[in-house]
Amino acid sequence: MHIPDGILPLGLTLGGWAVAAGLTALSLNRIAAQPDPREGLPRASMMTAAFFAASLIHIPVPPSSVHLMLPGLMGAMLGWYAMPAILIGLAFQAVMFGHGGLTTLGVNAVILGLPALVAFGLTRGLGHMTQRAAAAILGFATGAGAVLLAVALFAATLLAGLPAHLDAGAERAAITALALAHLPLALAEGMVVAAILGFLRRTNPEMIGAR
Amino acid sequence: MSERGIVLSVTVKALVAALLLTGPAAAHGAFVDVGATEAVAIHARYDTGEPMAGAQVSVFAPDDPAHPWLTGVTDADGGFVFVPDERAGQWAVQVRQAGHGAIGYVAVGTDGAAITVTAASTDLSWAQRLLMAASVIWGCIGTALYFRRARTAEPA
Repeated sequence: MHIPDGILPLGLTLGGWAVAAGLTALSLNRIAAQPDPREGLPRASMMTAAFFAASLIHIPVPPSSVHLMLPGLMGAMLGWYAMPAILIGLAFQAVMFGHGGLTTLGVNAVILGLPALVAFGLTRGLGHMTQRAAAAILGFATGAGAVLLAVALFAATLLAGLPAHLDAGAERAAITALALAHLPLALAEGMVVAAILGFLRRTNPEMIGAR
Repeated sequence: MSERGIVLSVTVKALVAALLLTGPAAAHGAFVDVGATEAVAIHARYDTGEPMAGAQVSVFAPDDPAHPWLTGVTDADGGFVFVPDERAGQWAVQVRQAGHGAIGYVAVGTDGAAITVTAASTDLSWAQRLLMAASVIWGCIGTALYFRRARTAEPA
């Protein structure tokens, strides 16, 4: 779910960079406004490592395969730190393994960063939730919803940038097939986020509040 | 699904070269000239090893990188064969499917006959990938440890 170089027209890559820069600036601004901006860095760094490694793990979903994306987990765990963390993780994936590209880094950062920030917004009230079941449902919805939003952004970006010489029908069918292959991934990531947030609520509730 | 993995290889294939129709003497006579020519064979696959079947191929001639000279679709094994015309220079071949894809380059010499493949995919071994991933992860762990320590070292 990374768009490589040479797929999108120039306007979309530049637009992606502009939106990614805006989101990153907003995130850094909010991080700087925190009492101790350095406090979240160890966790952000560890989550960056997890995010980076996740894209290398392929899960076969016949007829293709998908890899973990983790936008919901990044947003729920890191809050405003998610956006710079995703940008750095994606940059390493592009440079080291050619997953995505440097020209499309902005677009890819928006595709994953925006759902992460939405996930952050959704889970903000989680610390105050008293019912365990309600918290689990919210965690699941966050993890699954973030993947679905990322897939929707990915498909919309591709369709918007489809060159005229391509067979649009075939490409739409291929994109639809890829999006459907991500439905099991959305369920899996929903369960992961629900489980991790549920665990943190029991063992380390102040960690959820400290974002 | 991950991206990458377009491998270009050159093969010489015998292709039907021309269909010649004779004059009225042989009213329904047809001659087929069969000759050998050099073609460029493309094999496109994902880095998971699975072939990019039914992916869209765009071939760009050296003098027009904006408009495809030829478009087509890969077969079930991710294969595609085309014969470049005599234009010398670097031909670009893009294979893409659902937002994933890669570009490969084929250099065609001035004599028209020599075709050399300049860029192929960078295939990394399993061990190389592991080492690269481990280095980045270790960098992240180091960053985490650094900021952890810096915080505890300062008196609050």
